[in-house]
Amino acid sequence: MVVEEERDLETIDIHVNVGPQHPATHGVFRMVLTVSGEKVVDVVPHIGYMHRGAEKLSENMDYRQALIYQDRTEYLAQFNAEMCYVMAVEKLAGIEVPERAEYIRVILAELNRITSHYMFVGAFATDLGVYGTIFTYAFREREYIQELFESVSGDRMMYGYFRPGGVVWDVSADFKERVRWLCKQTRVGINDIERLLTRNEIFVARCRDIGAIAAEDAIDYGLSGPMLRASGVPVDLRREEPYSIYDRFDFDIPVGERGDVYDRYLVRMEEMRQSVRIVEQALEQMPEGPVLPEKLPRRLRPPLGEVYMRTENPRGEYGIYLVSKGGEKPYRLKIRSSCFCNLMALKEMVVGHYVADAVIILGSVDIVLGEVDR
Amino acid sequence: MSDIDDESGEKPADPVPPGTVADTFREVLPDVAFAAAPGALDVILMIAREDVPRVLRAAKEDPRLDFKYMRCLSGVDHGEQGLEVVYQLYSYTHKHSVAIKARIPQEDPRIASVTPIWRGADWHEREAAEMFGIKFEGHPNPVPLLLPEDMTDHHPLRKDVPLVPVEEWQGVRLGPEAVNVGHIPAGYERLAGPAEGGGEEGKE
Repeated sequence: MVVEEERDLETIDIHVNVGPQHPATHGVFRMVLTVSGEKVVDVVPHIGYMHRGAEKLSENMDYRQALIYQDRTEYLAQFNAEMCYVMAVEKLAGIEVPERAEYIRVILAELNRITSHYMFVGAFATDLGVYGTIFTYAFREREYIQELFESVSGDRMMYGYFRPGGVVWDVSADFKERVRWLCKQTRVGINDIERLLTRNEIFVARCRDIGAIAAEDAIDYGLSGPMLRASGVPVDLRREEPYSIYDRFDFDIPVGERGDVYDRYLVRMEEMRQSVRIVEQALEQMPEGPVLPEKLPRRLRPPLGEVYMRTENPRGEYGIYLVSKGGEKPYRLKIRSSCFCNLMALKEMVVGHYVADAVIILGSVDIVLGEVDR
Repeated sequence: MSDIDDESGEKPADPVPPGTVADTFREVLPDVAFAAAPGALDVILMIAREDVPRVLRAAKEDPRLDFKYMRCLSGVDHGEQGLEVVYQLYSYTHKHSVAIKARIPQEDPRIASVTPIWRGADWHEREAAEMFGIKFEGHPNPVPLLLPEDMTDHHPLRKDVPLVPVEEWQGVRLGPEAVNVGHIPAGYERLAGPAEGGGEEGKE
């Protein structure tokens, strides 16, 4: 038998198409991975499958109607998105918001941050291969808060509860009591999940030093929110440029050290605890009173002007660039989506890792395709 | 300057208080014409499109400005007055923000790309390019982002592209007066056939 002389094996790069219909892509997102063996050497993300023209549609509706598109684009943190939009309109139209409405908004927005992060941790664990357990735990906890949202707004997903000027109607009498119970329950829920994941050897081995992004790169790519803080940049818009009543609360900004997938997970878990703290303080301070200003014009006609309103949403900086030409409809409404920008750095994070890690890196970005595509 | 004055005919231009970031820009680039206006949250600076690469490069790299974070880039269609590109910048070190705007004519919508300055401008510019037909010169990958590749005949966010009236909505035929989305006229006629009581309405 003749043994051939050993030679270097030539490999060819293979394109692997992931999505648009794939459980790992969290929606209709497609990425084309170029792999050399098991290593990813290039990734081309394709977005736009869920582009519904929310900006164009909003520009053809009046200011109050356009609110509903905020729920439909950012469908995991609807209250946060609504809050950004109504604050942009209030800035333009010069509407004063009653104190009680501000507190209701902050409480709901922070609880919404918690549900969004529960959703993240459930889906993220599924990406890692922990089918079922974490997802069920996270969804059970999320459901408690979801029930409150439903009782407050009357809807499970598309709340449409905020209005330029305040909120639609006051919360029920047992609101404070229910939220207090939720705070207690959420602390327990976070601990439950952390006991299962945070020090789990397999979990840490899968997540440590995967998809790391340095602070300078993160800033240059325009990353924001937990993605940026995991890279060690202690920036939170609630502290950086306090909006609404966030300057009245005492909370910490968790930051990571390495900017990897594990740090992003840790930052989000700690953020949930901080949100609980904010909610508890807001409950203590919440005054009685009206939830809408008395003299709210029936037809909103903000004067000529423009504003770029930004809020700290669960996924990062959510911005509404609103241009008014004095009419009843927004002249231009641009949604600066947080995960749209976070997703831009995908190539930076994925290249050089294994295909299996590409899936969890994408999971750690925590994308909402409705918000990416708008 | 002149096209900005057209704008200020409608909008009373308050003087920007001294000590804002507008002064820093004038100090860093004394030979560039800046038209400053106070915004609701940020100072607005209007510049000519020829100055865009210089001003934005200086905005990022000059330590007095240090705008390392480009938070948003939007296109705006001002109709007769042309298209506008708006850059929202923020500095983590100085904690100041600014909105820089540049007007470009509709018939010649070219402007320098800022993707070589901030990598985060990439998708924003691709989006503005397909939505408004703005040509970002020097963009490394100028292909459509959200829209299909073959949809090059019109730019949907321009004001001369109106919304097509919705004729049918969830199996319900709408009348001719339904020019606005979401408007359901009284006395609509239901479509005959299997759409009646179909699965479409039973969602959620």
